[in-house]
Amino acid sequence: MEAPPVTVMPVTGGTINMMEYLLQGSVLDQALESLLHRLRGLCDNMEPETFTDHELVYLLKGQQGNPFILRARRSLSHPTAPWHLRYLGQSEVGDKSRHALVRNCVDVAASHSLPEFLNEMGFRMDHEFVSNGHIFRKGAMKIVVSKLSRILVPGNTENTEHLSLSYLVELSVLAPAGQDTVSEDMRSFAEQLKPLVHLEKIDPSKQRH
Amino acid sequence: MSGGPAVRISIESSCEKQVQEVALDGTETYVPPLSMSQNLAKLAQRIDFSQGSDSEEDVEGEPKDREWGKQDGEEEEGTVKFQPSLWPWDSVRNNLRSALTEMCVLYDVLSVVKEKKYMALDPVSQDPAAGKTPQVFQLISKKKSLATAAMILQKGAEKLSKSVAENQENRRQRDFNSELLRLRSQWKLRKVGDKILGDLSYRSAGSLFPHHGTFEVIKNTDIDLDKKIPEDYCPLDVQIPSDLEGSAYIKVSIQKQAPDIGDLGTVSLFRQQQKNKAGMPWHVKLEAAQNVLLCKEIFAQLSREAVQIKSQIPHIVVKNQIISHVSHTYISLSISLCHSTGEKKNNRASPEKPKPDDHLYVLEHNLHQMMREFHKQQLSSVVMPHPSSAPFGHKRLRLAGPLAYDKAEISSWQQTEGLLEKIIKQAKHIFLRSRTARTIDSLASRIEDPQIQAHWSNINDVYESSVKVLITSQGYEQICKSIQLQLNIGVEQIRVVHRDGRVVMLSHQEQELQDFLLSQMSQHQVHAVQQLAKVMGWHVLSFSNHVGLGPVESIGNASAVTVASPNGEYAISVRNGPESGCKVLVQFPRSQIKELPKSDVIQDAKWSHLRGPYKEVHWSKMEGRNFVYKMELLMAALTPCP
Repeated sequence: MEAPPVTVMPVTGGTINMMEYLLQGSVLDQALESLLHRLRGLCDNMEPETFTDHELVYLLKGQQGNPFILRARRSLSHPTAPWHLRYLGQSEVGDKSRHALVRNCVDVAASHSLPEFLNEMGFRMDHEFVSNGHIFRKGAMKIVVSKLSRILVPGNTENTEHLSLSYLVELSVLAPAGQDTVSEDMRSFAEQLKPLVHLEKIDPSKQRH
Repeated sequence: MSGGPAVRISIESSCEKQVQEVALDGTETYVPPLSMSQNLAKLAQRIDFSQGSDSEEDVEGEPKDREWGKQDGEEEEGTVKFQPSLWPWDSVRNNLRSALTEMCVLYDVLSVVKEKKYMALDPVSQDPAAGKTPQVFQLISKKKSLATAAMILQKGAEKLSKSVAENQENRRQRDFNSELLRLRSQWKLRKVGDKILGDLSYRSAGSLFPHHGTFEVIKNTDIDLDKKIPEDYCPLDVQIPSDLEGSAYIKVSIQKQAPDIGDLGTVSLFRQQQKNKAGMPWHVKLEAAQNVLLCKEIFAQLSREAVQIKSQIPHIVVKNQIISHVSHTYISLSISLCHSTGEKKNNRASPEKPKPDDHLYVLEHNLHQMMREFHKQQLSSVVMPHPSSAPFGHKRLRLAGPLAYDKAEISSWQQTEGLLEKIIKQAKHIFLRSRTARTIDSLASRIEDPQIQAHWSNINDVYESSVKVLITSQGYEQICKSIQLQLNIGVEQIRVVHRDGRVVMLSHQEQELQDFLLSQMSQHQVHAVQQLAKVMGWHVLSFSNHVGLGPVESIGNASAVTVASPNGEYAISVRNGPESGCKVLVQFPRSQIKELPKSDVIQDAKWSHLRGPYKEVHWSKMEGRNFVYKMELLMAALTPCP
């Protein structure tokens, strides 16, 4: 089947022109408890929540250039919650004055028939994984401490295997483009988490092998 | 070695003892080894005691020396060879000799004394002058020793006082720490640099007020040790922001007349004397400051809403006062923030005459409560997104897309009633309630017959309360229970529910309720006659709540009843109107009328049973304390005796 031509241009304009500011790091399993303890102290006074999510990454190969990537995520712990479809743009790492990685981001809540819909559109699933861990909030900042697991049998989220002996720590903020004060707040928050975890801006393009 | 036979080797200790003799059978007898003392004796034998005792050549020693000499004859020759000074036991020998001499002398003296023949021992009388030290010297030495003792005591005292002071300092430090611990258990604290900052704000409880609300914890330990520590001394003190000092409250009042714009402005209403702040413990200070913060937040929220909300008559926000109109009448709700910093004396407020308290405490309390509800709502509306990558926000809004909600559904979530709208509604209700109560009370006091009773329910909603109104006649409460009204007072209108289920809606206008009650009272009288007739055995001929005949009443309608006596001879007709009052007519039987109009038609005797004409009763001249009593008397008078 011929793939339909797709523009790879990021979606701009309107209220959906949001940027995600991101800092990443990781901790070993042994250090998890102390990190959680610290986060509980630093973050907003909310009940600490755990989550288990299943993420599917879909690719649409156009005629030219890079494939178009969409991420579909659903909550395994809250099966009735809507699916979450996410487009992440090319990350801008170059600016030294900015303390966080910035990328274009489009978030859409979707119904449960999302995978079929994407398949019909011509998207193909590239890979899937299960992520479980803890989620914290401080103001607009979201802190996700998660463990990634590989799915051994495609589609079976029960049968998984941990990818590593460490937890991924992500600090992210969604903000309209051009709000660089956000990254300042993120940096000061990341400072407070040192030396438990060092949150840095990690360029995903340089990590590809 | 491995192959050959083992060689026997007998080991025997070498005999180092001297052989004394060898017996004939060949056995050797050894000289037994010398014991320690024997060895010593043997060595001592070799000492030549006569050598070097040249200084003392006494007679007594002579024979002994001779004996020694004889005994050690053979050794003397050997020892002589040594130099006497170099001889190792020389000093021992000398000492022993002198000791012996002393002992001998002592022995002699003792034996002489013992015999008591030659000598007697007498105690020697001591010369007092010789033993006495000069007084000056004694004095000096005493002084010296005293000084030393004093110095030691002083040193000890110093040490003690120092340790006591240290102890106190430690305790104060410990008290500071324990106070800090107590503070920590109740307030949010964090350390910034070398300062300890605390959080006064309600942000963690869901407040969105932008005031930072931080206070600083101060260690208050450097007080003068010499001075007496005041009773309420606390090693921990707090420094609150200057704009949160003092005390504040929200004042809500209803003003009857339209406020003059010129009169608006700062409302300073602090009449109560400010307490002395210096002695306040930290928790009182913090609570006061937090209260100020909450009041400010409430006022800020109300002001913001007052500006945003479109209403027929715009709300006015001036300085620390918000004025909004409650009804279409000239009644306005005034909400003001009263904040006294406590520094400046209330010079301006004091000359003002203390006005009667027009606070609406209930509304003030409700404002606080609603603010807290708002906080809670803020807090509970924030939920963690699932899946975790989803953005923060309302869960319902995230569901809107997948579940295809329409616009009406979404907009229904978003419109929420603001604090100001709620409080205005509550104020309207309170005002309507108080006015209803006043109307009923004034009617009850103005009109004695029939009586009005109002039973207010104690438990009310903020927007609705109810009252039960009974209209009765004194003394006839059991008979005349026809009018029972339930008034549900809402925000804008009053809903009246009759006993039989009829519902009447009244507006907030005072006159409307009054007219309604008046018409009900007039109906009550007619109902009472009807009830009374039943009791008295009279027959009701006709009854009408709303009479279509006669003069038109300005309020409601007149009602009428006609009752006939048990034997049917008499009839009483009553017409009662709210405005025109009551009119009572009695119909006599035709037979009793003397001057009957002559008529050709009804000459026959059988016509005497026809009813006669009506005559009006001068009701005001009737005896009896109220209408029903008068009516009872009238009925009794018209009932023939059996």
